[in-house]
Amino acid sequence: MIFKIEDVTVYFPYDNIYPEQYEYMVELKRTLDAKGHCLLEMPTGTGKTIALLSLITSYRLSRPDSPIKLVYCTRTVHEMEKTLAELKVLHDYQVLHLGTQAKILAIGLSSRKNLCVNTKVLAAENRDSVDAACRKRTASWVRALSTEKPNIELCDYFENYEKAAENALLPPGVYTLEDLRAFGKNRGWCPYFLARHMVQFANVIVYSYQYLLDPKVAGIISKELQKESVVVFDEAHNIDNVCIEALSVSVRRVTLEGANRNLNKINHEIDRFKANDAGRLLAEYNRLVEGLALRGDLSGGDQWLANPALPHDILKEAVPGNIRRAEHFVHVLRRLLQYLGVRLDTENVEKESPVSFVSSLNSQAGIEQKTLKFCYDRLQSLMLTLEITDTDEFLPIQTVCDFATLVGTYARGFSIIIEPYDERMPHIPDPILQLSCHDASLAIKPVFDRFQSVVITSGTLSPIDLYPRLLSFTPVVSRSFKMSMTRDCICPMVLTRGSDQLPVSTKFDMRSDPGVVRNYGKLLVEMVSIVPDGVVCFFVSYSYMDGIIATWNETGILKEIMQQKLVFIETQDVVETTLALDNYRRACDCGRGAVFFSVARGKVAEGIDFDRHYGRLVVMYGVPFQYTLSKILLARLEYLRDTFQIKEGDFLTFDALRQAAQCVGRVIRSKADYGMMIFADKRYSRHDKRSKLPGWILSHLRDAHLNLSTDMAIHIAREFLRKMAQPYDKTGTMGRKTLLTQEDLEKMAETAVQDMAY
Amino acid sequence: MAGEQVEKRVKYKSSVKDPGTPGFLKISEGMLLFVPNDPKSDSKLKVQTQNITQKFTKEGSNKPPWLNLTIKQGRNHIFEFENYPDMHACRDFITALGKSDEEPKKAAVSTSTEQLSNKELELRFKLLRENSELQRLHKQFVESKVLTEDEFWATRKKLLGKDSIRKSKQQLGLKSMMVSGIKPSTDGRTNRVTFNLTPEIIFQIFAEKPAVRQAFINYVPSKMTEKDFWTKYFRAEYLYSTKNTAVAAAEAAEDEELAVFLKPDEILARETRQKIRRVDPTLDMEADEGDDYSHLMDHGIQRDGTMDVVEPQNDQFKRSLLQDLNRHAAVVLEGRSIDVDSEDTRVVAEALTRVKQGLMFHLKIADSIQVFSSLTRTISTAKNIIGKNPRESFLDRLPKSTKDEVLHHWTSIQELLRHFWSSYPITTPYLHTKVGKLKDAMSNTYSKLDAMKESVQSDLRHQVSLLVRPMQQALDAAFQHYEADLQRRIAKSSGGERPNGYV
Repeated sequence: MIFKIEDVTVYFPYDNIYPEQYEYMVELKRTLDAKGHCLLEMPTGTGKTIALLSLITSYRLSRPDSPIKLVYCTRTVHEMEKTLAELKVLHDYQVLHLGTQAKILAIGLSSRKNLCVNTKVLAAENRDSVDAACRKRTASWVRALSTEKPNIELCDYFENYEKAAENALLPPGVYTLEDLRAFGKNRGWCPYFLARHMVQFANVIVYSYQYLLDPKVAGIISKELQKESVVVFDEAHNIDNVCIEALSVSVRRVTLEGANRNLNKINHEIDRFKANDAGRLLAEYNRLVEGLALRGDLSGGDQWLANPALPHDILKEAVPGNIRRAEHFVHVLRRLLQYLGVRLDTENVEKESPVSFVSSLNSQAGIEQKTLKFCYDRLQSLMLTLEITDTDEFLPIQTVCDFATLVGTYARGFSIIIEPYDERMPHIPDPILQLSCHDASLAIKPVFDRFQSVVITSGTLSPIDLYPRLLSFTPVVSRSFKMSMTRDCICPMVLTRGSDQLPVSTKFDMRSDPGVVRNYGKLLVEMVSIVPDGVVCFFVSYSYMDGIIATWNETGILKEIMQQKLVFIETQDVVETTLALDNYRRACDCGRGAVFFSVARGKVAEGIDFDRHYGRLVVMYGVPFQYTLSKILLARLEYLRDTFQIKEGDFLTFDALRQAAQCVGRVIRSKADYGMMIFADKRYSRHDKRSKLPGWILSHLRDAHLNLSTDMAIHIAREFLRKMAQPYDKTGTMGRKTLLTQEDLEKMAETAVQDMAY
Repeated sequence: MAGEQVEKRVKYKSSVKDPGTPGFLKISEGMLLFVPNDPKSDSKLKVQTQNITQKFTKEGSNKPPWLNLTIKQGRNHIFEFENYPDMHACRDFITALGKSDEEPKKAAVSTSTEQLSNKELELRFKLLRENSELQRLHKQFVESKVLTEDEFWATRKKLLGKDSIRKSKQQLGLKSMMVSGIKPSTDGRTNRVTFNLTPEIIFQIFAEKPAVRQAFINYVPSKMTEKDFWTKYFRAEYLYSTKNTAVAAAEAAEDEELAVFLKPDEILARETRQKIRRVDPTLDMEADEGDDYSHLMDHGIQRDGTMDVVEPQNDQFKRSLLQDLNRHAAVVLEGRSIDVDSEDTRVVAEALTRVKQGLMFHLKIADSIQVFSSLTRTISTAKNIIGKNPRESFLDRLPKSTKDEVLHHWTSIQELLRHFWSSYPITTPYLHTKVGKLKDAMSNTYSKLDAMKESVQSDLRHQVSLLVRPMQQALDAAFQHYEADLQRRIAKSSGGERPNGYV
């Protein structure tokens, strides 16, 4: 359908539109008009992605003189592919109605591991070794050397791509990662470097958050994006955590040992170069004296990760004199490692600010703050000079230099915490020195400053006023949308008691109570016998899940569950979890269904959908609070209180409830879907906790469902499932319009004009 | 047939080892009579010819011509003839008798060793009737003895299976109970515990733990008895359950067989790596790790309570309950992959291993299928074009007879190649002869293709040869393989005398 929002003609590839999609577009359009940032909360399953894509591309078409670029950030690869698939449908529709002028170039971008088509490189098992295997074939010096020694193996795809030079371009169209690989294979061009090259020409780029937020990658990939870009962060409820993680780094004993080995190797290389090719080291020295900026003078293929500190923090000045010579720099690093080793040898937990850490480093090891700041760039320059390609083996020394650069760059928003062992396992000595970032606004600030509009959107952004404070920005629009429903297809319940009327909770003093564990188990046993197909359970943590499953196994509860449904579990091994999920889906497809045990804040809770028959019931066992004795969390809470005036309790509750909402939200992905959500903890019945849930869940949470025991919940579940099994009218009658046609929209526009006239 | 009778000189043996009593065998309608030369001998025999089934030694094998007749009541009678023609005469006579006696038996005898039910035969006939292409192939290869009836149908199990699904018995699934749920019984006085193993439990252990299965095949009975094996297995399980990794490591160091049970299962790990490539891409969380630079070694936040720690997993003598649960559920979901109803543990273990290897073998076959994929592509594009734009198709421009011939050659080559490649590796003399026959049939087809190329009009010749070329290429590949394999075999058979390293 084609309709107008104010002066923009919107091309929407479907015949009907949900009212909330329309409103969402209106708000988005105002944001773009104002060239500002916005925060939009809309439940998943309401077609958020297509609304976003449709409006932004239509907006671009309506302003041909100042074309905007769309940078769409997703959290997972499969969301990236899904987004591009929707864009394909939209693009076809627009081309159908407007002809070739509507043609755009849209690409997905991911790591070499997901884009490479060279089978020999792909044989490497993880991302870092794939990267290294690629560099071994594409680094400029390797390629230069291969003209002399023909037995050096290069990558044909890269060679062909280089040969095509300026002509290596993607024709307009929408390219998923799969499409890129196919195109690259077909043409014989490297899809990874082609996609990287096309970033500057593409109208729409879809990639991971980190490509914009993590300075280590953003410095390479995203530095050339124009100001006239709209940046969208989809599923952005955890964006503050992504930001602080991007600027945090820690050092362990193994890191130091590895870094020392790396230095030995570097030393060895330096000696070799001195003997054979001393001129090269001298050239590097001269370059550093002249203060040539390191970034920018390297060809695309040779780049490593960029500096971990943000671009505006790095002064364009010469590298300090004491680390210009390679061997001097190695000495400085040795001293740094030694100092870090001494600091790790502590019996007590120590907490320090970066400023005091730097000053004690200066007095005890004689390394200045400015020297620290340049560590990372100096290392990068040295490794390029020494022509080191197996970068994956040099991760420890990179980590240490990252740490040095960050600690030398930022004076506030960080703290250094040294712990001799993990709080929860005091019997295992495992010293760690952590530089942790507390201020999410640091990493995202350049994005807000650089780009015209930034859209932060998700199904759960409640309370919506907290995000602008955490990220320090002023949105021009901040709104939370309700879901219009033709029927009450979600059924949230709060379960506070077991059948024996004893309260259930994962509160610290109650969680190991055998009564609670039993009641939690009995709830599931009862539920699996009445709920068809898939059931998903989320626990507050891995260790809790581990413990409770072991107890259920011993007490026979697990056996009772298995009599009804197969049991699959998320483990800390990604591969195993992926297989378990695959089996779970097959079990739901072909049998009595299955139960999936998972963890709040885990990878499954973040990225996997349990829609349709893959999830008819989700049980959230407990409130997923963070581990409140963690030193890092305490430091962050303190910082938030002092800097943003956010109370500790408020932040913790907010954080726990957004995770819970995220977990239960996995179960419903469209309006035709239905599912039940059980919050199994007595604390959810309290208003201060519950009210932090997003509006679209709260509006379905009836007062009668706020304080249930197991048997009551079973009764409600039976009723609900029976009701959902009835046929229903999809367009929505009884006065509630849930699907709008083009005529409806035109009528709405007319009345709006009339309203204005009066 | 009435009144006819056959009389031959034979030796009668009551068992295989019996040296035999010389005498005469007389067969007439309804009666089989053995009269020994020595009238005193008590091995006289008089049997009704109804319900006789017969087995006989093949001509050309170095065994004497024996005919083994089994009477319904269960007794065996072996007759040694003086020569093969004698035996064949008797055999045919008995067969003929059987035919006249029982009409339906006819078909079963005429086919092969595999006893076919009427239903299956009807199904085959029905399929042939309905599908003229199939009929033509059947006629071409089965009736000319290139393929046997069974071989022909073996590659078409799907066609047969669709209709015969009703009669396939429903397979029993596995119990959902965990194997670790088996509780031992104690006698209450000593520390001895007793486990009761049923075939079902053993099957489940083998299915869930390929390493245990492999160990069983390797160790039992050559190294230890089955009882010792299971004792050791439960000893290992006990060590797991105590969660005392130090003790487990110590015992594993002393006892290498025990260590097999305690170490991580490598066969399982290999299967996992294979399976992960086939999962639904929307579930592939491993792909996301490619974009995650925040959690590069020691980057990101380690101990803030969001990422919570469980004790280190890398300890090789540690296996978690969660992993076991996942594995168990996966096996139950897979169901009984074998149809072995045996009490013999070894048979079960080997059958399971075969099934798993079979899966991998299928993948290998897929490679050789690529040989004729190019062939299929040429033809199928030609076929597609017919549907889309008749003027464009050169296949359509051919005279109808030539077109049909091309398409028929194509299907018969596919049939031949399918049988040819699936016969490798050659492990039995039977396969050897089969491959020879196939090769002859293929060269036959090859020359027919040549002839066809020659016979078409000159303006079409180029296009026909374009069509024919991939077919001939595929055949060439097969001939090449045949020759290479033959050479290898010859080299091998005479290679015993050659010194090492001789090329």
